[in-house]
Amino acid sequence: MDDSQTRKFQKDLNAGLVALVLLAVLEHSSEDLYGYEIAKRLQRASEGGALFKEGTIYPVLRALAAAGLLTSRVVPSYAGPPRRYYRITEEGRAMLRQWSGVWRQTRDFVDRFIEGMPA
Amino acid sequence: MSANAPRSIDEYLKQLRAALAGQDPALIQDALYDAEEYLRAEVAAHPGKSEADVLELIASTYGAPEEVAAAYRDTEAKVKAALRPHAPRSAAPRSALRRFFGVFMDVRAYTSLFYMLLTLATGIFYFTFVVTGLALSAGFAVLVIGIPFFLAFIGMARVIALGEGRLLEAMTGERMPRRPVHPGPPASWLTRIADMLKDVRTWTTLLYLLVMLPLGILYFTLAATGLSFGLRLALAPLLLVGRAVGWLPHDVHVMFEIDGTEIHGPPSLGPLTFIGSLFLVPLGLVILAAVMNAARWIARAHARLAKALLVEPGP
Repeated sequence: MDDSQTRKFQKDLNAGLVALVLLAVLEHSSEDLYGYEIAKRLQRASEGGALFKEGTIYPVLRALAAAGLLTSRVVPSYAGPPRRYYRITEEGRAMLRQWSGVWRQTRDFVDRFIEGMPA
Repeated sequence: MSANAPRSIDEYLKQLRAALAGQDPALIQDALYDAEEYLRAEVAAHPGKSEADVLELIASTYGAPEEVAAAYRDTEAKVKAALRPHAPRSAAPRSALRRFFGVFMDVRAYTSLFYMLLTLATGIFYFTFVVTGLALSAGFAVLVIGIPFFLAFIGMARVIALGEGRLLEAMTGERMPRRPVHPGPPASWLTRIADMLKDVRTWTTLLYLLVMLPLGILYFTLAATGLSFGLRLALAPLLLVGRAVGWLPHDVHVMFEIDGTEIHGPPSLGPLTFIGSLFLVPLGLVILAAVMNAARWIARAHARLAKALLVEPGP
């Protein structure tokens, strides 16, 4: 019971964070990335347990592209199905700067209460 | 892990499809495509392990089929809400008259009309493509190049179908796939040809591309006739003034002529006067509104036909 509530809390938190992380990953990458590559980068970065399932990043990538924050192109692959490569747009960069500001503000605000709590 | 955890890629995709049952078929195609891309890359990245071993860990990395299905459902609902072109309609019921003429304010009516005019060009192109492709495939069948040619032909037909879907979604708002059909695991040419021949969607796609010619002719004729008829009546006063001051040549007629006499109604009315032409304007506007209402309806019906033939038969 306790565990499922923790999972639900994590899921609610992730709703906007996944989009923020994906924008940041693509902003810092020098080349275009495809879904599997992005998933593996996130997996390498998350020590211990992954915060979200890799399957959930694909629909978010598609949503970001539909909103004009990413562009994508399909490249045939010798190893298997054609891959869809994503790149961040100028609009996406502007959005990332705004969202990063919101994130820092939120984090500092929340930390102030959590760290001030009596142990 | 639950007892019915998928042991192979096909099994995983089957469970994902089941978990998405009832969703838009275009969304299902996209979700299956994304999952297959990931799963095949994951299996290829672990050459030492069997497919079953890799799949065992999938639930903790990519997510179980139900989890992934939930992610697509949530995201789709949010994106739909965000991309909806207009503000939600006012709750107050609008009169039939206002609904009829409100079509002039609807972007979809203009894009639908544009689509109808475009179908003549695309219809001719699709029809020529399919007939040429089928004829050459039959001709090449006895030669070595017959098999790769047929594969390339079907592959191109699928790309065209995807493009037509994207065009229709842009024009009518009907959700269509954003990913092509997944080609499946690498296999020999003969197996892939056999799979293509067995796939109902291959045939319905070709059928759609063929019927686009007669449909395109019909749509174009309806749209072009209705538009020119309505516009001529609605702009009749302008035409008369333009003719009088010499901006337009004298042989431009509001409607049509018989034996050099301009016809716009019963002969007892006499020649068309400027005041008379003002009465033609509302008639023209009614016809234009009717044409645009019809265009919106036809484009929507056509999008459903396209979905039934290009998407729903699914692999």
